[in-house]
Amino acid sequence: MKEDGKGEKHGRKPYHHTDSFDAALEPFYYDKSLTDPIDTARDKWNLLPAFLKVKGLVKQHIDSFNHFVEVELKKIIDAEPVITSDIDPDFYIKYENIYVGKPRRYDEHMGDFRDSKEESTVTPNECRLRDMTYAAPILVDIRYTKSKVAYRRKGMPIGRLPIMLRSSKCVLANKSEAEMCAMDECPLDPGGYFIVNGTEKVILVQEQLSKNRIIVEADAKKELITASVTSSTHARKSKSYIVLKKDMLYMRHNILNEDVPICILLKAMGVTSDMDMMAIVAGKDMTLQDDFAINFEETIKLGIHTQQQALDYLGARIKITRKPTPFGQSRRNYVQEALEAVSNVFIAHVPIENLNFRPKAIYVAHMARRVLMAKQNPALVDDRDYVGNKRLELAGQLLSLLFEDLFKKYNYDIKMNMDKVLRKPNRTEMADPCTVMMGHANHITQGMNRAIATGNWNLKRFRMDRAGVTHLLSRLSFIASLGMMTRISSQFEKTRKVSGPRALQPSSFGMLCPADTPEGEACGLVKNLALMTHITTDDEEDPIKRLIFMLGAEDVATVGGSELYAPGSYLVLLNGTPVATTRHPSQFLTSFRRLRRSGRISEFVSIFINHHHSTIHVATDEGRICRPLIIVEDKKSKVTKRYLKSLRQGSMDFDDFLARGLVEYLDVNEENDSNIALYESNINATTTHLEIEPFTILGAVAGLIPYPHHNQSPRNTYQCAMGKQAIGFIANNQFLRIDTLLYLMVYPQKPLVTTRTIELVKYDKLPAGQNATVAVMSYSGYDIEDALVLNKASVDRGYGRCQALRKYPVSLKLYANGSKDTIEGPTMENGVPIKAHALLDEDGIASVGAKVSQGEVYVNKYIPENSNSSGLSDAGSNSLGASLIPQAQKYRLYDHSYIDKVMVSEVESGNQLIKIQTRQTRLPEVGDKFSSRHGQKGVVGIIAEQVDMPFSDRGITPDIIMNPHGFPSRMTVGKMLELVAGKAGIVKGKFEYGTAFGGSKLEDLSRALLEAGYSYDGKDYLTSGTTGEPLPAYVFMGPIYYQKLKHMVQDKMHSRSRGPRAILTRQPTEGRSRDGGLRLGEMERDCLIAYGASQLLRERLMLSSDKHEVDVCESCGFMAFGRWCQRCSTAGEPGSNVVRMTLPYAFKLLLNELGSMNVNTRLIVSDEFPADGSRRA
Amino acid sequence: MAYNGFAGFGEDAMDGVETSGPKVTVRDVEQDRCDFVLQSCSLAMANSLRRAILAEIPTIAVDLVDIITNSSVLPDEYLAHRLALIPLMSKGVGENLNYTRDCDRCDDHCEYCSVVLRLHARCTRPGTMMVYARDLTVAEPRQDAIGTPVIRDVDGTGPLIAKLRQGQEIHLECIAKKGIAKEHAKWAPTAAVGFEYDPNNKLRHLDYWYETDAKEEWPVDERNATWEGDETAADATFDPDAVPSAFFFDVEGVGTLEPDDIVRGGIEVIQKKLAETIKVLGGVGAAGVDAMNGDQSPDAYEPAPADGGYGSYGALRGGATPYGTTPYGAGGYGSY
Repeated sequence: MKEDGKGEKHGRKPYHHTDSFDAALEPFYYDKSLTDPIDTARDKWNLLPAFLKVKGLVKQHIDSFNHFVEVELKKIIDAEPVITSDIDPDFYIKYENIYVGKPRRYDEHMGDFRDSKEESTVTPNECRLRDMTYAAPILVDIRYTKSKVAYRRKGMPIGRLPIMLRSSKCVLANKSEAEMCAMDECPLDPGGYFIVNGTEKVILVQEQLSKNRIIVEADAKKELITASVTSSTHARKSKSYIVLKKDMLYMRHNILNEDVPICILLKAMGVTSDMDMMAIVAGKDMTLQDDFAINFEETIKLGIHTQQQALDYLGARIKITRKPTPFGQSRRNYVQEALEAVSNVFIAHVPIENLNFRPKAIYVAHMARRVLMAKQNPALVDDRDYVGNKRLELAGQLLSLLFEDLFKKYNYDIKMNMDKVLRKPNRTEMADPCTVMMGHANHITQGMNRAIATGNWNLKRFRMDRAGVTHLLSRLSFIASLGMMTRISSQFEKTRKVSGPRALQPSSFGMLCPADTPEGEACGLVKNLALMTHITTDDEEDPIKRLIFMLGAEDVATVGGSELYAPGSYLVLLNGTPVATTRHPSQFLTSFRRLRRSGRISEFVSIFINHHHSTIHVATDEGRICRPLIIVEDKKSKVTKRYLKSLRQGSMDFDDFLARGLVEYLDVNEENDSNIALYESNINATTTHLEIEPFTILGAVAGLIPYPHHNQSPRNTYQCAMGKQAIGFIANNQFLRIDTLLYLMVYPQKPLVTTRTIELVKYDKLPAGQNATVAVMSYSGYDIEDALVLNKASVDRGYGRCQALRKYPVSLKLYANGSKDTIEGPTMENGVPIKAHALLDEDGIASVGAKVSQGEVYVNKYIPENSNSSGLSDAGSNSLGASLIPQAQKYRLYDHSYIDKVMVSEVESGNQLIKIQTRQTRLPEVGDKFSSRHGQKGVVGIIAEQVDMPFSDRGITPDIIMNPHGFPSRMTVGKMLELVAGKAGIVKGKFEYGTAFGGSKLEDLSRALLEAGYSYDGKDYLTSGTTGEPLPAYVFMGPIYYQKLKHMVQDKMHSRSRGPRAILTRQPTEGRSRDGGLRLGEMERDCLIAYGASQLLRERLMLSSDKHEVDVCESCGFMAFGRWCQRCSTAGEPGSNVVRMTLPYAFKLLLNELGSMNVNTRLIVSDEFPADGSRRA
Repeated sequence: MAYNGFAGFGEDAMDGVETSGPKVTVRDVEQDRCDFVLQSCSLAMANSLRRAILAEIPTIAVDLVDIITNSSVLPDEYLAHRLALIPLMSKGVGENLNYTRDCDRCDDHCEYCSVVLRLHARCTRPGTMMVYARDLTVAEPRQDAIGTPVIRDVDGTGPLIAKLRQGQEIHLECIAKKGIAKEHAKWAPTAAVGFEYDPNNKLRHLDYWYETDAKEEWPVDERNATWEGDETAADATFDPDAVPSAFFFDVEGVGTLEPDDIVRGGIEVIQKKLAETIKVLGGVGAAGVDAMNGDQSPDAYEPAPADGGYGSYGALRGGATPYGTTPYGAGGYGSY
């Protein structure tokens, strides 16, 4: 025993050292040193980490929010900057500027803002813990008059805006890792969510059909072809249709009582000559001309020749919904009504200046042309499900709509308030608009808070009534929260049985993850973004419009109708609106793209050509999905060794690649116009772009799967759902948080078979699983139906161990009458606390570290008996809140926990808040759910002794035994490859890659295994632990990454003999949480009926459930009481014909309820066995 | 190196094996490892030895932890689990230490059935302080050093227990007790036990799938294969009546016991079990066995309860049913 006392000799000096995490985190070019040779084909994926470094994983949310705060807010106030008064013409409030300050606590913004030098120290984590809203003041600069004197005020708060974490206004923006840690914030947390009242809320990305674009659809059944456009402007939203009905074209709109022939509409828009009409619709195309000519008939039949006549006709068919104006303005005539509709309602997004309807007429004509073209060639209809026709609505847009609505209401309220004040004939004191504005600031704050907290977007102006816009950010695992940030929810109804919107669209390649979608009703409707996508924000339209003209295209407003659709000329549409024509489309296209690549216009402006329609589309609108691709010119990739080298050295970043025109963003439409090579070797003469990396077609969640390209595709989808339930690390600040329920793994490991995505999303820093040695074999019969056998020794050593942390909030309220909730120390009995109060400290709160079991009190709370009355009425008893009712908070779970944390704080309303966190450490037990990363889940069937487990000649026993029947039908070859790769990784002492469409090659892995003395196919020779004989077959054994899922027996096991019953029905309650019964359902009932077990049925359904004894009067059939029939008491011999019977209480309830609806029910009873009469009551 | 083992009992039961009794050839011994060949015994005997080595040799490990202060980031249970897995010197535990449950000298625990270790670490400086197994001190060091942490690494620190930041403190007292690995793996004296026989598959106990050539595809342990000699090569004539004769053991300890003690301990466990059986059956050797180590019953260990009660919640599960100690009315279900 040479080691004896060695520890002593060295002394007990624990030495200090610093963790050098930075070195491991910094170089984002994993296992590549600066001097390694560069191979462009292999190393171009380095652009991906560069992309993510610039953009981050949730850039779409953050970009959108930043855009809202920095650009949209100003646009909203600029739309209507002045508040005036109907009373005092001198009065005005003018908004000059709007901006958002730094996040502050709710009680900090009341002070003067001009000397706001003192920075608020609020952090997101404080807001989480104290149930606060992480918000910043919205400040405005205003000019206003007070007593005819003009004033100016800067930094006036009008409300508080919840701030998105990691956005430009967030305190976490541009903070280093150390600074984040100092703020108790996890550096790996992606941000992109809000904290409202202490809960983390995500505004999910909403998918919609694109706005302001023409969609042509054919309805085969009704023989209709329609072109529809949803116009959306700041002022109004409307949908207009051009319909082809029985070969005639009509305009259809909500405000029209009936469909209006298109020629009348065009006439109303000032296209009076039939020839011009024909030119702007059909152009020189003879077939289109033939199809359109029929429409002239109608106008001639109706005798409408002039614009005036057309407007009259139109005006007569407009529904009058407008309320009379307060000034009693007379109703407008038909012409005015029609003019208003034509300029502001139909196709509202095409602006009308000086009553020049020409652009709108061209738009309508273009829609008509599209319909006629679709009639000629049915292939020319649009596909609603095409991703290019979709737009994604992000947090910024939704908030902008919400803010606009609240701001308008706010201004209206101020105006009303000021009017009221100004109307007073003799004011003692001049009303200060500032105080009025301050007084209403809560409206915006509350509105914002409520919308984000509840997820209900109710905007009357836009007829928007959406629920479920925001969701609680899932903190089950790091991947769950990350997956939530990339989620896209669709506006389609879930109940509709159409497969189209749910199907995987080919156009979503590279944009949406093909694997990550839920199963069941939301399948295909909830999608996830792929790894390398970007969602555009709004760009200015005007400069692009000018550029289009500068590039030689002619303005549609100036060209004659005949030139519009001249053969060979292409119409240029900007955001779906025709603006110009060009005769040199390809030249136009290349020069436009060249300008974009040189950075003269935004990189997110897309341009593509549609040869079928002879149109060029330029898009600057928001919500398009796009992704970066490498530009290929002259059969050569523009990203060369030289650039990759600079990238690795850090002298260039992704934006430099964009600026140099090496890489560009393509949206779905432009992608369709390009020829993209998957690999460098595929480049040919027509190639325009090169993929950066194929595995980016998957999202962050599917990216965790090793070798997903070897799996059957649904398995990857299953894993995407299960990866979100895996227990692991949540965030680096997980111990500083107090969540409702938090599951944490005790010893998570980073996967042996990793992927590039895992490294990029930093899953290896916050893993959720453990590398288990798995033997694929049958063992003991406790492993059928996907059950797993666990090694007891592994469990003893910490395999699958996890902690369950639970929050128990207690709030101490202050009541209006001055009374308040209190907590008091333990009740003493003979100098010791009573049993239930054993845990309590003197302050009445359980002490940290105490073991808490069922029935024990953790907060000894009391509430006042009288919290409403003022206390004045009860003369004498001036002891407000003196009489207290105990409302001790008891621990209710069956299994004990330990008190982990106690937090005492105060919330915004002034109530005291106590949060208690309890902790349980759980070992795996029979019935707990585990899963590999390949959609292969299973429960623990038995925990076997190590000595009984099979072992290899080297003495290795598996941690898990998995039944081989799991493989043939599931076809998860990726799992087998993971095993081989993991095993090879172990013998080599390194992590292997299972990256999609790449990863370590099986051949290399097998060679490594062979060299280490293992069989090349990953199989081992195992010996039975019980007999010592070799197993009759070689066993596939090696490490597989297993996740422990949140479904644990301890949370679910339940039994009941007798217990609580529901008040209304007197049937046993439902559910474990209410100690409910186990239901004998319909199908079980059917079995018993079929079997004929009538007495069992009677017992289960009545005697053990809600049996009830009633007295029934045989003569009247109503229920009697106390053997006395009130109803029959006068007739005959009372009492003698009242019988007692047993029936389900629910049935008695039914009779009562029927009675309440004036339906009489009579119970006609007869004795089934009348012989002895003993059954009679 | 080779030496003959003791003469076993019941040699007549072993067919086709030399009657001289089991023979052990030690091929290789390292500090924590022992590679030997067991001959002249049955497969069942060899496997019993393996199982005994793996699960039934008594060692000492931390079993109870009294936490006085724990302001580290690790919760108490977490820390206790880590402490339990630290290897403690166990040479002589079998003879010189009682099982606490059998100890008649105390009600709770005493020096005859336990070793008390203390740990007190507080970080006072900025940065991270590491708390290692070497920081565990035995309260009353014993003559035979039972219970001292095994420290073998180059730095002399032993396993890491926890990391502390400035102001954090761990102060606790561990009670290490005697036990066997069947109860909890922390009492396991071995990391792995390699076991093989008939490496050349002469006995045809194996009939394995191969693609083209089994020899090429299935690597054999060269050392074991050549040890057996040419006459046992796979292509030798097949004798259906042959039984395995040599068992290759590779015992790797965790440091609590020397490999020699581990193997001897395993043999002892088997001996005791057999002796007890014979005694119970009133066999001839009963008297002799009694003299050996009468105070230790081979069934002394308590096997893990069949209901899977090794979890910390296991013990409570019985009483913690929904219908447990409180009647449902008073259980706080008044909310509906």
